[in-house]
Amino acid sequence: MHEPVWEFLIVNYLFLGGLSAGIFFVSAFCTWLQTEGRPAYPRIARAGALLAPWPVSLGSLLLVFDLGKWWRFWKLFVVFRWESPMSIGSWLLLVFTGITLVNLYAWLTEEERNRLFAILPAKLPFRQRLPDLHTDLGAWKRNLAMLGFPFAIGVGIYTGVLLGAVQARPFWNTNLVAQLFLFSALSTGTAALILVRSLAKGPKDLAEFKFLYTLDICLITLEFFIVLPYLIHGQLSVLAVREALGLILGGPFTLTFWVLFMGTGLLLPLAIELWEFRPVLLGRGALHISQNLALAAAGLVIFGGYVLRYVFVFAGQASGLR
Amino acid sequence: MAKTGNKRYVMLLDSRKCIDCKACVVACKAENDVPLGVFRNWINAERSGAFPRLRASFDPEQCHHCENPSCVRVCPTGASFQRADGIVLVTEADCIGCKYCMIACPYGARFFNEETRVVDKCTFCAHRVDRGETPACVETCPSRVRTFGDLADPKSPLHALLESRRYRILRPQTGNGPQLYYLL
Repeated sequence: MHEPVWEFLIVNYLFLGGLSAGIFFVSAFCTWLQTEGRPAYPRIARAGALLAPWPVSLGSLLLVFDLGKWWRFWKLFVVFRWESPMSIGSWLLLVFTGITLVNLYAWLTEEERNRLFAILPAKLPFRQRLPDLHTDLGAWKRNLAMLGFPFAIGVGIYTGVLLGAVQARPFWNTNLVAQLFLFSALSTGTAALILVRSLAKGPKDLAEFKFLYTLDICLITLEFFIVLPYLIHGQLSVLAVREALGLILGGPFTLTFWVLFMGTGLLLPLAIELWEFRPVLLGRGALHISQNLALAAAGLVIFGGYVLRYVFVFAGQASGLR
Repeated sequence: MAKTGNKRYVMLLDSRKCIDCKACVVACKAENDVPLGVFRNWINAERSGAFPRLRASFDPEQCHHCENPSCVRVCPTGASFQRADGIVLVTEADCIGCKYCMIACPYGARFFNEETRVVDKCTFCAHRVDRGETPACVETCPSRVRTFGDLADPKSPLHALLESRRYRILRPQTGNGPQLYYLL
């Protein structure tokens, strides 16, 4: 129809925002789940807490620089327009990023906090009051996790709502896009943590991997069962939607969607994770995690998440009404 | 259709009279300083049939100044707005250039202005209309394709045309309520 007006910066942003939402969600989940009054998977929780703020911050920066007048971005934060998914999303992003940063601080050890404060220049005007800030928020971890849940889910789902709320683009105009992006976000976040925990030194904690794999298998499966109805409902929908789906069913995005997303980015990592997980599924043999397979599966899930955003951003803009 | 107790500016287009001379496009460019390569209005030219049975149709198009504009709904800052008289405008000083409205417009009527770095569109020449004049495209059109007026005014010549001729609107399925009426 027209040249795309949203391009790779937006693809990157949608991906990075979702990634942070997913990482925070899993980290918060691991904090919230307790065994004997302590976080059930403290290492996953900590890795997630330390990682979560950065992708979304980078993504927001990209988003700002995609604006025609980036220095006017503050205008997003002097109004709240509930009818505009982008207005809702901007506020969600702001609050979510704030929570992830406070949460990161809460997970720092005392030594890390000392180092952080040591690198601040001595002449900062508020330096005198810093000792007040130099407090241990460790006790807040669980509350922060609970506070962050709705915002993480909000950020994960809003990237899909942003696209889905546009009537003029039949490729997007279904609530399934929101669910698809949410599950993809949570899955890429889980994969990022599988990646981090696989690369960590020392012997693997099988309980951690069992948890992460279970979560990721569930999320990928849910994602698959959203793609399926998306395609089926679309094919049974009005002409405009069928025409839009033609973009991935024979049209220019077909190979990217089916080979790179569905095959390489969704079903292949699912197959790898199920294969690794077969002792648990079949109840036979001992679970052991191959680092290479874990890295491959996690890398592919993240790759698939990116390709999904790419296909939706570009194919959606190529769709239209007649 | 028309808002009661208010003005409601609309445009009627008698496509049969259009000869694709593009004077309206040029007039708009001159009136509104529209940069090269982008347009606030354009003419959809379509050719059908095979020689010798050919048919050419020319449908001028621009912003439809919809009753329920999706561009205004999605704008995160409120820069896109609808005046009480129905004209849909962008406040240049409030537009951050996110282009969400361009994505949301079913008609592709909005474009990014590289000179102002914000989103731009047909204004129905609001500055002229406010002086009691008609939009530049209307004034220029040599074959009188265009009739501009206030639909809420019972004395407007629009009514005679809409009552005596059949008309269509483009892409009504979005529910946007477009206000360019194409006379058949």
